[in-house]
Amino acid sequence: MIKLIEKIEGEAKLNFSFEKGLIDFVEIEFLSTRNIEKILQNKNALDALVITPRVCGICNHAHLMASVQALESCYEELELSNRAKITRELTLNFEIIHNHFKWFYLTIMPLMGYKQYLLKATQPSQLMAKAIATIAGQYPHTSYSIIGGVVSDIGMMDLIKVENYIDKTLKFFEQNLVHAKSDEFLECNNSNKLLSKEGDLPNLVNKIKDNGWSNVGKSYDRFIAFGENSYFKKGKSIKTRLTTNIYIDKVQEASNINSYAKNVLYKERYYEVGPLSRAMINKTPLIKDAHRKYGDSILSRILARVCEIPQLLNHSKKLIKQLDLSEPSYIKPKIDISDITALGSSAIEASRGFSKSDDRIREYSISRTEL
Amino acid sequence: MLSKKLKILWLTAITCNGNTHSFLNYPHLDIFMDTFEFIYHPSIDSAYTLNDIINKEIACDILIIEGSISTEYIKADAPIVDIINKYASKVQKIVTVGTCASFGGMFRESDYKDTTGLHFDKERPTSLFEHIKEKTISLSGCPVHPDIIANTLYSIEKKRAIELDSLLRPKEFFAYTVHNGCTRNEYFEYKIDNHQFGKKEGCMFYDHGCHAPYTHGSCNKILWNEVNSKTRTGLSCMGCTEPTFPKGDFFHTKKNMGIPQYLPFGVAKRTYLTLAGITKAFHIKRLEEDLFDD
Repeated sequence: MIKLIEKIEGEAKLNFSFEKGLIDFVEIEFLSTRNIEKILQNKNALDALVITPRVCGICNHAHLMASVQALESCYEELELSNRAKITRELTLNFEIIHNHFKWFYLTIMPLMGYKQYLLKATQPSQLMAKAIATIAGQYPHTSYSIIGGVVSDIGMMDLIKVENYIDKTLKFFEQNLVHAKSDEFLECNNSNKLLSKEGDLPNLVNKIKDNGWSNVGKSYDRFIAFGENSYFKKGKSIKTRLTTNIYIDKVQEASNINSYAKNVLYKERYYEVGPLSRAMINKTPLIKDAHRKYGDSILSRILARVCEIPQLLNHSKKLIKQLDLSEPSYIKPKIDISDITALGSSAIEASRGFSKSDDRIREYSISRTEL
Repeated sequence: MLSKKLKILWLTAITCNGNTHSFLNYPHLDIFMDTFEFIYHPSIDSAYTLNDIINKEIACDILIIEGSISTEYIKADAPIVDIINKYASKVQKIVTVGTCASFGGMFRESDYKDTTGLHFDKERPTSLFEHIKEKTISLSGCPVHPDIIANTLYSIEKKRAIELDSLLRPKEFFAYTVHNGCTRNEYFEYKIDNHQFGKKEGCMFYDHGCHAPYTHGSCNKILWNEVNSKTRTGLSCMGCTEPTFPKGDFFHTKKNMGIPQYLPFGVAKRTYLTLAGITKAFHIKRLEEDLFDD
């Protein structure tokens, strides 16, 4: 059986394999490619910062960050200010939050039989886009992060504006997704307690439970995250066993004869990536509890993704307090990238998975692993 | 009862969907959706599926095309060229959103055969869709600003005449240059050419590849996300609204004998050199210092 899936920024086909009348395996067949790796060949290395974000209109910022970090990893010595690191992390957080809202209201709620709440998707995601634009000029498709830092020199008043966008987004979360203070939500370690609340998230999750879908969507129950920063931890988790020693060079990519998308494996095994993986590795109490009760199902996955919204908003507020505006935003590299021959790589956590970039100056490889 | 809303088909070809997501940043979508209805959109729910669009006869008033076009590109088992032709013949207007759909753009360089925009291969007019050219409005940009999409659609709905340039772009948005309204303009005017990334001060035209003085667009007139622009924040304009996008080598200004290869629109080399010579003869202390210096 083959089904066309739409409204996923392009189309794909799902090829189902059945065993005893039940779905045993599903293969995703992407029907087109944009060949961004080919477009990058023989270009100036810095052009990757403009071209790579055009891989995707929804996670363009993650691709910018993966590109700049891959280029920076080509240097043996490169100075990066704490200000630049925090600024980059802030705008990446805002993109992840931006996408979580769109995914919840534009994709998941309609999938579960609710009407599509367009404005509930766009209202908070526009606030996050404004926060990115305040720092990075525009959203989508900025290239403000360059080798050695960021191009912008934001001031205190800009940060106040960004803080207001964060507070307004938190307020939206508390008034719509879970009718509770976000601190209370983040302290909750019992998913059943959450389901007794009002709001779009508990309503949706209760519907999943009531319809007996809480075991739907299970995968390998193996989790991995590479894009380490001040919030996300790197590691892999298989059931309750957590390992932090993982290596990006053990990620293997294989062409797929049925699809333009590559198969991505770690040490020859498939892993889940994205918010549920990050929560399992970060040991987020609410998500660990959901996983204990419902496994790696769609229910746990939805909770994990929505849970990242207040987590990252609150963490971003803390990051802003750590910003020292007297530090430089950009420190010019001592060696120009055009004088370097090197192979660099990086991995960045994105809203739906992680983006890995390998930059060989003349060749470029992108793995975009998503769920 | 039949809806009186204007019906739009948003069709995507070879694209990153950046225009789709840029449009979702339009701040007045509530009002917009009172006037327009998408019979199909890549993200917004619609009454019809893609298979319906391809296999049935669905009434439509405006065809929006996003993404580069190739005769090789197949969408849900149908050639994109056939889908475009099917709806182009019945709609009032066709709107290309983004530089890919308008001129080929970034994905002109992808591996598909003969990839172009709807009517242009970069600046060169193409003939494949000549028969629908008079219906078309091109909204270039990578991505295009949401206000430009929404207000063009409103103009069609209100049956207002839209004055277009030779590349079919509305003059009201594209007669300006991105340079117009940039907060760094004084540094350009007085040729303060010591820009460094990460600073509020300086102009990126002289060394860091800013295309703003020779790029048509309203980025510094209609701000992005209502708050900012790339050049205001210190990032060079990449010339993304022009048919030549992507030119490449985005962060460096190409020069011949120290003179930028691309000069502001309409400014002759001699004029530029004369003005540059005069301004370089003066030192303007205020512009040579940091903005916040006492």
